[in-house]
Amino acid sequence: MNSILDLILRLDCWLLLAPLLPGIINKVKAWVAGRRGPPVLQLYYDLARLWQKRVVLSTLASPAFVVLPAVTWVAVLGAAMLMPLGPLGAGLTFRGDALLLLYLLALARFGTAWAAMETGSAFEGMGTVREVSYAVLAEAAMIAAVLSLSVQSGSISLAVMLGPALGASAVLLAAGLFIVLLAENCRVPFDDPNTHLELTMIHEAMILDHSGPPLAAILHGAAMKLLLFTVLLVQAVLPMGQLKPWAAAVVLAGGVLGVTVAVGLVESLLARFAFRRVPLLLTTAFLLCLFALLVAWKGGLS
Amino acid sequence: MTGLLLGSALFLLGLALAVGAWWSRLWLGLTLAAAVAAVAAAVAVFAAGAGWEWRSDFLLGGEALHLRLDGVSGLFVVLAAVVGGAGAVYSREYWSDQRYPASAPRGRVWWSALMLSMLLVVTASNGLHFLMAWEAFAICGYFLITLEAKKPAVRAAGWLYLAASHAGTVCLFAFFAALAAKTGGWELGPVAGDASLAPLLWLALAGFAMKAGIFPLHIWLPSAHANAPSHVSAIMSGVAIKMGVYGIVRFSGWLPLPVAAGWVVIGLGGASALLGIAFALAQNDFKRLLAYCSVENIGIIMIGVGGALLARSHGDAPWGRLALAGALLHVWNHGAFKALLFFAAGSVLHATGTREMSRLGGLWRRMPWTAGLFALGAVAVAGLPPLNGFVSEWLIYLGLFDAVAGKQASAWAAMPAAILLAMAGALALATFAKAGAMMFLGAARTKPAANGHECGGWMRGPMLALAGVCLGLALAPVLVWPALASAASAWHPVSSGSLSDCGKGDDEGRRAGCPRPSGPGSQPDAVVGLASREANSTGPAACLTKDAVPLATLGWVQLGFAVLITAAATLLWRKVRANPLRRGPTWDCGYAAPTARMQYSSGSFAGLAAGWFSWVLQPARTLRRPRGYFPAAAIRLERVPETMLERVLQPAAARVMQVSTAVRRLQHGRLSA
Repeated sequence: MNSILDLILRLDCWLLLAPLLPGIINKVKAWVAGRRGPPVLQLYYDLARLWQKRVVLSTLASPAFVVLPAVTWVAVLGAAMLMPLGPLGAGLTFRGDALLLLYLLALARFGTAWAAMETGSAFEGMGTVREVSYAVLAEAAMIAAVLSLSVQSGSISLAVMLGPALGASAVLLAAGLFIVLLAENCRVPFDDPNTHLELTMIHEAMILDHSGPPLAAILHGAAMKLLLFTVLLVQAVLPMGQLKPWAAAVVLAGGVLGVTVAVGLVESLLARFAFRRVPLLLTTAFLLCLFALLVAWKGGLS
Repeated sequence: MTGLLLGSALFLLGLALAVGAWWSRLWLGLTLAAAVAAVAAAVAVFAAGAGWEWRSDFLLGGEALHLRLDGVSGLFVVLAAVVGGAGAVYSREYWSDQRYPASAPRGRVWWSALMLSMLLVVTASNGLHFLMAWEAFAICGYFLITLEAKKPAVRAAGWLYLAASHAGTVCLFAFFAALAAKTGGWELGPVAGDASLAPLLWLALAGFAMKAGIFPLHIWLPSAHANAPSHVSAIMSGVAIKMGVYGIVRFSGWLPLPVAAGWVVIGLGGASALLGIAFALAQNDFKRLLAYCSVENIGIIMIGVGGALLARSHGDAPWGRLALAGALLHVWNHGAFKALLFFAAGSVLHATGTREMSRLGGLWRRMPWTAGLFALGAVAVAGLPPLNGFVSEWLIYLGLFDAVAGKQASAWAAMPAAILLAMAGALALATFAKAGAMMFLGAARTKPAANGHECGGWMRGPMLALAGVCLGLALAPVLVWPALASAASAWHPVSSGSLSDCGKGDDEGRRAGCPRPSGPGSQPDAVVGLASREANSTGPAACLTKDAVPLATLGWVQLGFAVLITAAATLLWRKVRANPLRRGPTWDCGYAAPTARMQYSSGSFAGLAAGWFSWVLQPARTLRRPRGYFPAAAIRLERVPETMLERVLQPAAARVMQVSTAVRRLQHGRLSA
């Protein structure tokens, strides 16, 4: 009984709260620019409307084009179930679940990429190439981050890894993970989610031909992924394990809000980088995570 | 029992070899029966947890026959039997008597001979006989690769394979001869104690690495796999190169280790994994792409094996066994999904007649089965959950993470290895997204692609069977754990004792290693003994227990994800179909008339990530830009050469020839008598 309640609470957190984040980011951007901006709940309205809509399919698309957004969505949701949520803990925890989380996100990427290539469109090809190529560097940064957390805590399960205080490596790790967050969720300076200039986009270019319920699944999955990375960043940096449950909940919520606002501020203050500079920034993220790993290594010895 | 099964497998294969040229149905039946018997023999060994040995008084080349089937060789027997059986069925349609009246009977005979010699390689326990089987195996491979000997490219590939293979065999001759000289006999088995034997392992490593196609020595592999008939590519890539892995695993377990061995193997593994997949990404020929991907997967296996060696030379830390178990599982996984992918590639080649990805596209409509099965193989090879590639990579990661957490010197190898493994995984995803997209998605780029046709039942059947193997290994990995554990404990008998000590309280059959009645292996040598005592005091106490390896949990989680994915996909499909669909041309932000030529091509897909590796790929470019107000033609050609062969080996060989020609003037007499 208790576990069912726990599951419902957890699903609520992920499914219902996720679409809030893009809304907050947009509000922050509007606020910085002096506009009123769309309502915070805009994505909810969009999702509800898209779910009712009919689908227009490319003549080239196979049934997989319709089905793959569901695969992507389940992959992200599965990754979310592995992620501990402050006082709630993880829905499922076992040794090595951190790696499953990384690879589930990769599965989501594969699903999006495959669906994008279904349409035979050059723009979507462009977006796919950028997505899968930049992911190579992002993945290196992520594994270095996971390694540093694992060295710090002596464990490979997220519930333990995200508990202890990181000490000096926290700053490095925070910076590295924040860059990866921006890259993996296709935010400025890697990608501009608002632009309508397809040549410059990554994620938006990949989903140009989706419509109706599959597009709703994609947008919702993207929002969950953003929430997932924010939660990961907050818990990796802050010592969640040492707080009382209510304090942990408050700190987690505050941290997620803070990171979301930070993403909005970055988006307001920075322009999108030229694509040739993207690998440089991602390499920087990798190096930051690597240094965090080395600091964790040294710190653990004493 | 085991002996009877293995003997009947060998006998049936011999029979198939004899009848293959005339009666294809009987041949197929015999081959499949032999495959079943071989798998049963291996399963009997896994179930018993003890090895099987058989000595005969019959002398072959002055040496008594001695066969041995233990956990390690059992794994490879199963692999050879499954892929060999599947390939035999596949070849019935793919290389049929009607289409290839001359080479099909030859192909069947060599196929049986190849399976027979591979089974003998992994079971021979006498150096001399091992070499004989090894040589027979290499020759069979040559004749299978060159079934289509009329094509010059095929002959060149076969020749390169034969030369490279024999370069490796030379090392093995030296290795076995030196081993026989040092130990006083050709009998193979665990040798411990004598540290002067350790340097011999380098010879074995060189010889076996050549066969396995580890990075700088992979020169023969891409052209041989690309030019061979697809069922031959499947067995070469899925099984034959694994014989090299078998050799490395086998003799690194039996011989004392040089200190640097672990570092070298894990380093070569990391280089193979990353560079192999970088080359794969840059290929335009889909069979070449699959071949380079084999280099990557051998690299992943070598990362695991190298981890095991490293752990062994650092006091036999338990994480080494984890990495080894992962590597051995990857041997199976790679065999299954790579054979599946090569079969699917063969089906495409059969239907369209081209290996050029940029000439294909849109094949899913004409070939839905092949497309679906290729997609499944692609997910598996990219190491994504919920398929089997992930399970073995996950095990290797667990080993490497444990090594890093142990903070011993070996962590400095494990850290970069884990990062390289992750990057190779991401590149593999890009590679197979590209391969799948270019072949099956979008619009057909040429006429043959538009007129493709689905393969028949004889080709589809083995693909479905291998897809089933992939799913089985992915969703119930715990079922194969006894096999892996028995292999991991049979690998290095000295420490199998310490393994069983700490494996108390769990019921899986890993406790008993093979009993070793003979040889000095039962006495742990001083170095290892000392080191393992150190490890017991400082290292993590975990062994291959359920807590350390929650494989059952992972299996359930994978199953859960598979079910959830199916459910969500069905739901979305129903939701979409509830309203009538509207079909239209690809929107693409308002293109009026998108054509097939506007699609991303193989080269443009790879361009970005392959550009980061241009220092090693060294692509050759031809570029003619459009000029003037009325440009006539613009060309951009890009070809990735076989860098190691064309830029390193061939210039070096040419220089040697130059010097030899110059020196030859000193020679006055006539050399040809």
